[in-house]
Amino acid sequence: MIWTTRAGIHIDRAACAWLIRRFVDADADFTFVSDPDDVPPSATPFDMRGVELGHHDGDCSFETILRRYELTDSVLWRIAEIIHEADLDDERYDAPEAPGLDTALRGLSMVCDDLEILTVTGPLFDGLYEFYRRALLLGHEPA
Amino acid sequence: MGAERSPGTWVLLSYRMPREPSTPRIAVWRKLKRLGVAQLSDGLVALPADARTREHLEWIADEVMEHGGMAGIWLASPATQAQERQLAESMAAARADEYRALTAAAADATDLPAAEQSRLSTRLRADLRRANRRDYFPPPEREEARAAIDGLQSPVHSAGKGTAKR
Repeated sequence: MIWTTRAGIHIDRAACAWLIRRFVDADADFTFVSDPDDVPPSATPFDMRGVELGHHDGDCSFETILRRYELTDSVLWRIAEIIHEADLDDERYDAPEAPGLDTALRGLSMVCDDLEILTVTGPLFDGLYEFYRRALLLGHEPA
Repeated sequence: MGAERSPGTWVLLSYRMPREPSTPRIAVWRKLKRLGVAQLSDGLVALPADARTREHLEWIADEVMEHGGMAGIWLASPATQAQERQLAESMAAARADEYRALTAAAADATDLPAAEQSRLSTRLRADLRRANRRDYFPPPEREEARAAIDGLQSPVHSAGKGTAKR
């Protein structure tokens, strides 16, 4: 399937792309557009204005995708808190990791194009998932 | 802001929401306040345009529409430098007020016992970060507030001797 989002991606879109490819559609192809009107008819848009997989009721797009695809994995919801705070910074959650991750992604977006960002952040989010998976199993932060 | 350059681009949100229910209207207002927008007139706010400010206002525009309101996002530049300067000055003045309040709170705290001072400094530091995030035209009061808060006994300092200042 083709998944389309706004060009110039930051934390929420990078995390959504990882989430989609790993938990929703293993064969996902991603394209990027500047104008919502340019979304191909066959594509599923995400993190764009006025689409189903966008911000709703105070949720960021990552949270919306978790709800829409009924992904109840608590590790993913822990990551969602970080993405939410990095993206919206509204202090709904306590996620001290968020500002650091946001800074890293903003810097990355200065030296990488959108597809490169997905390539680089894939293993990063894989790593975060593994970290919080172990943390959840252990009941404390893994070494 | 370079006085010799032409005015920059601003992102504007024009919006109108039903008076009732008031909860979504207040939620939107809180978000705008948190972003530190300049209120140009009723239902019209502005921020210096960049990818982030624009995106934040766009999501708020969607939120307005989801709650039965009308909203539009515009990119615009003030017609004169004087007008832009005025806008920037009013925004800087709003931040300066926040910074002065933080400086005063830090000054009041210097007589408190170390433990209380350190707790308070953690809170003031978080408040300072919040103010910094909506500060697009930093006034001199920003550094004063930072210095005042840095001068407090902090959890970081109290572990050592209080010399680890940035």
